[in-house]
Amino acid sequence: MLALLASIVLFFLDSRLDYFKPVRSTLSTLVYPIQATASLPTNFADWIGDFFHDREQLREQITVMSATNKLQSIRLQKMQALERENMRLRELLGSSFRLQERVQVAELLTVDLDPFSQQVIIDKGNNYGVYIGQPVLDAHGVMGQVTETSPLSSRVVLLTDPSHSIPVQINRNGLRAVVTGRGLGENLKMDFLPHNADVRKGDLLVTSGLGGRFPVGYPVGEVISVDFPQGKAFADIKVQPAANLSTSREVMLVLPGEKIDTEPLLAPTPAASEAAATVTPAASAAEMTLTAPQNQSEEAADGDNR
Amino acid sequence: MATTAESRNGFVIVVTLIIAMLLMLVPLPDFARYFRPEWVVMTLIYWAMALPHRVSIGVGWLTGLLMDAMMGTTLGIMAFSYALAVYLIARFHLQLRQYPLWQQALTIFSVVLLVHLVAIIAAGPDMNWVIWMPVLTSTLMWPIMYAVLRKIRRTFQVS
Repeated sequence: MLALLASIVLFFLDSRLDYFKPVRSTLSTLVYPIQATASLPTNFADWIGDFFHDREQLREQITVMSATNKLQSIRLQKMQALERENMRLRELLGSSFRLQERVQVAELLTVDLDPFSQQVIIDKGNNYGVYIGQPVLDAHGVMGQVTETSPLSSRVVLLTDPSHSIPVQINRNGLRAVVTGRGLGENLKMDFLPHNADVRKGDLLVTSGLGGRFPVGYPVGEVISVDFPQGKAFADIKVQPAANLSTSREVMLVLPGEKIDTEPLLAPTPAASEAAATVTPAASAAEMTLTAPQNQSEEAADGDNR
Repeated sequence: MATTAESRNGFVIVVTLIIAMLLMLVPLPDFARYFRPEWVVMTLIYWAMALPHRVSIGVGWLTGLLMDAMMGTTLGIMAFSYALAVYLIARFHLQLRQYPLWQQALTIFSVVLLVHLVAIIAAGPDMNWVIWMPVLTSTLMWPIMYAVLRKIRRTFQVS
């Protein structure tokens, strides 16, 4: 009877109150040793695998890596020039813009959680300055965001979680939309786009930076099918996530304080009004559904309600 | 440890519970993920059946709370369902001990089903059939689990 009462009190406290977070974080720290131990076998197997790497294999790997390295440094040269040009143009427009964010590398704990909720645990916590809502990337794109922190570890909710949405824009034409997860290892879906929206199969979706939570311009996914069901108000668009959600081991946390300067958006510059013009009426301002909207997202909401 | 004649080697119970928690977390290949038995519930059920004076509803509740923190569910959901399971088993532990193993397994089936039901009601409705697989695998694992834990109990003379 007492247990029942305590459970109900806990339901309420945990789901409604914010200052209950420390309790949760303490409990998470308590179970961290168990989680770390559970991930040991896999880490050990990896280590053994590394140890007995074939000489031939290693040589091959080095060849491939140096080739990609060359290719990427060539691209980077061009990128630097473009970056500078972009800065110059933006200066002309009177807006400031940061292209690069600083990132911190964290590693996934290889533990299996409930297969029906799309979450992972990483080995960096409060001690490294991880905070709730921090964007998490991998080498290919956006993975998700931090939902819960404790001193030693934190929990990341992935893009595929049904409760997670991310504001995106199409790289080809700048059309903005919201991409939501569907859970169970399925693709993402793109919500609230009317039948006449200019979306094609193969379009690359990048973060739009609206809402101020995710940095602008990181790949989110690729459109793999566009369908216009009869009698439905919105198009049915499926998106394949760009990040390797199930296989990535190292993830990158975007550090705070390096966010994009939102000031130029507030000033009526030509860039801002142009951007506002491309907003479709249907692109909802439903930002991250996980937390209360930040004040930066007011800007987005204003644009959408026009 | 041996302080009184009634309770000895309580740490063995804690160790088995921790091992069960580890088994809940150890990564499995993708096809096996949905079939993972509910190790912690089964361990709790065994101890509640064998030593109801040691593993009370409170122990079940605390274990559930730790599981909540580990799995990231709303605090209290698993705590509630585990406490419920321990209550049911402790209520009928004398009958359960007399049952043949297959009949015990059927009881396990219904209790794990109940635990799962609470978790699913809390998680939301849009789930497909594989979510019920742990109930089946738990039932099938029960005879092995029972034999192993009984061996442990007798070796360490937990009481």
